[in-house]
Amino acid sequence: MRRGSPARLVIALSVAAVLAVFLLYTSVAGGGTPSVGPRALAGKEGTVALVGMVVGPVSGDPYKGGLRFALRDIEGPKKQTVPVVYTGSVPDLFRKGRHIVVDGTLRDGVFVAERNSMITKCPSKYQGQQQVS
Amino acid sequence: MAELGRAALAVTLGLSLYALIAGGFAAARGRRRLSHSARNALLGACASTIVATVVLVAAFLRDDFSFAYVADHSSRSLPTPYKVSALWGGQEGSLLLWLLVLTVVAALSVWLNRRRTRDLVVWTVPVLGAIVAAFAWLLVAVSSPFSVIDAPLDGRGLNPSLQNPYMVTHPVLLYLGYVGLAVPFAFAMGALLSGRTDERWIVATRRWTLFAWTALGIGQLLGAHWAYEEVGWGGYYAWDAVENAALMPWLIATAYLHSVMIQEKRGMLRIWNVILVSGAFCLSLFGTFLTRSGVVNSIHSFTTSSIGAWFLAMIVVAVAFSAVMIWLRLPQLRSTTRLESLVSREAAFLYNNLLLVALCLTILWGTAWPILSEAVRGESVVVGHPYFDFFLRILGLPLLLLMGIGPLIAWRRASLRGLARVFAVPASAALIVGGLLVAFGAGSSVPGLIAYTFSAFVLGTIGQEFWKGTAARRATSSESVPTAFARLVGRNRRRYGGYVVHAAVVLLAIGIAGSSAYDSFAERTLRKGESISVGNYELTYRSLTERQTANAIEVRAAFDVTRNGQALGTVEAGKNAYAVEQQVSNEVGIRPNYVTGEDLFVIAERAYDDGSLHVRAFVKPLVNLIWLAGLVFLLGSLITLWPDAREERRLIERYATGRTPKPPAVA
Repeated sequence: MRRGSPARLVIALSVAAVLAVFLLYTSVAGGGTPSVGPRALAGKEGTVALVGMVVGPVSGDPYKGGLRFALRDIEGPKKQTVPVVYTGSVPDLFRKGRHIVVDGTLRDGVFVAERNSMITKCPSKYQGQQQVS
Repeated sequence: MAELGRAALAVTLGLSLYALIAGGFAAARGRRRLSHSARNALLGACASTIVATVVLVAAFLRDDFSFAYVADHSSRSLPTPYKVSALWGGQEGSLLLWLLVLTVVAALSVWLNRRRTRDLVVWTVPVLGAIVAAFAWLLVAVSSPFSVIDAPLDGRGLNPSLQNPYMVTHPVLLYLGYVGLAVPFAFAMGALLSGRTDERWIVATRRWTLFAWTALGIGQLLGAHWAYEEVGWGGYYAWDAVENAALMPWLIATAYLHSVMIQEKRGMLRIWNVILVSGAFCLSLFGTFLTRSGVVNSIHSFTTSSIGAWFLAMIVVAVAFSAVMIWLRLPQLRSTTRLESLVSREAAFLYNNLLLVALCLTILWGTAWPILSEAVRGESVVVGHPYFDFFLRILGLPLLLLMGIGPLIAWRRASLRGLARVFAVPASAALIVGGLLVAFGAGSSVPGLIAYTFSAFVLGTIGQEFWKGTAARRATSSESVPTAFARLVGRNRRRYGGYVVHAAVVLLAIGIAGSSAYDSFAERTLRKGESISVGNYELTYRSLTERQTANAIEVRAAFDVTRNGQALGTVEAGKNAYAVEQQVSNEVGIRPNYVTGEDLFVIAERAYDDGSLHVRAFVKPLVNLIWLAGLVFLLGSLITLWPDAREERRLIERYATGRTPKPPAVA
């Protein structure tokens, strides 16, 4: 490195070191929610982010007793389905066939989602119909 | 017509390849006429891209559904302004808009700098040619907006969440920002390629960088405002991957705008600046990659598509190219001066840079963590709000404090006496505000309290600077206070415009701290006539109505609002159901209080057959300061951007002789 300004090097290294420790601590040791599909859900303890495609029937009330539907693996062989019960705010884009993410835990075969945790993704609408001539 | 559009894009690709190959050859061999023709090819690429864009916009306006892109993103009943903005309602059109902006800024920046920095421009042209060619290739070969189908009777409509004024402006501003960063990058690479690594590339692109940075900043605030008003979940920023993708290049560009001042004044940080400008550009590519590839879960509903891999390739090329160029020119990039003291303006700017870059890297780490953890542990792990909030606090609060210190501290070496003299007023302002806040019970949120105290400190320094400057002018002339003030700002646009931007960041910090640390929330199912109370407000559910408009059915619930028992009229919240698009969109009710800056925010979640309604309501203190910050930010940026003939002359004189600037004796 350059002779001359040790100050800069010291600052840079110390900041980098502090940062590295924080990052490793927060990301590897603790924090963060595993993101899984229904197939990988079995045996998972604690809170996970469940990613899947909504399959029907959709029933119930998200504010009284919970909205009930099922999520299926989006891709891969051997797609599995898991029933979900969800409470709280439902995004506008939620519908059968949409890809969504909910946080929660698996209890007795039913995925119980945390309140207001639903996020919708919308890959289906603008992709389809490739009848390009 | 589609053939014309396709042909125009092919021409753009051809011309940009010519600018790359012929321009590169001409620059290496010193062929002046050839490099002129390469430059003109870049101008031609701009013209042909304009033709392609006009073709697509015309197809939207004519409801020409034989264009697959038009059929997918428009319908006959769509209001005309949205038919124009539907141009960037999907991937292909967004790429076309990106290419349009890119060719326009490339052509303009090269043309405007053709005389001043001739030796740089000959090398800048091939770099810009390469970037244009990459995007033109995507549009010609991978993702064409001009594919045709058998025209259906009506289109599939535009996503309702894109049907509002924000979506007409927000993407355009973000593209201006992303793409605008290509200009300083290309000039920096031009400087490295030509071996002329003095400060001229910085001077030539200062306004371009500022422009891109302003557009990116305003674009993000508009996006936040859109999320707040239109998406309606009660927040404005969710640390979502796509949001972070826009924030990261902005943070790096902010660091760059500060560190170039050190290079201009003291000749330091030259390697650092090239790294920052390359980083900002690569991050803007990375942002597009994240947005378009779908590798990370995002609440932004974009098509998952195959062009992600192309962007990844572009990022790899851009990173590798800039790394190699910086490595090759390291000897020329060595600083001419060095840091003398850790307590000086240079040092304060250096800390600011380190914090901004650290903040950017932590956000990058958190955003990319789902991909990284999948690669390392075989399981994708998402980090949430707590991670990002934590780093925003521990890195953002010191940044806020530095914003008050940096502009006042002396260059080179600050003395203790000097420090006491300049910081007496701002420090007492901060202490008084902090004391008052604790006394009035705002100590419940420690980060909020620190943010407010630091904000008072920064506002104190800014106020003091304006006051002292005006007083100094009045001491040597007979100007009135407003005249002296206006001339002060007019003669030192960079400095005082910068202070105005700082004031905007303070407002932003107060707004964020207030609305996230001190908000209240309530939720209930109401029958008609029943009430819900949140904060000092009480909402009484009165009626539910249904209206039919041109392209939607609007359901609205009306509430009577009182604050501390005092009637404030009604507020409406509901949902719109769009027929063609078969989608529902949330329409929240917001009642701002401009005196205290707080909002009452009402979401009508669900209406039942018996007329009852599930309601969520928030009170968000100080949230309006965030939007006010946007206006102040724009004002400050405009002041610094405004052309200044005197400054231009000074800079041209300074760099015409090619010597390194001497450090100023007094700042």
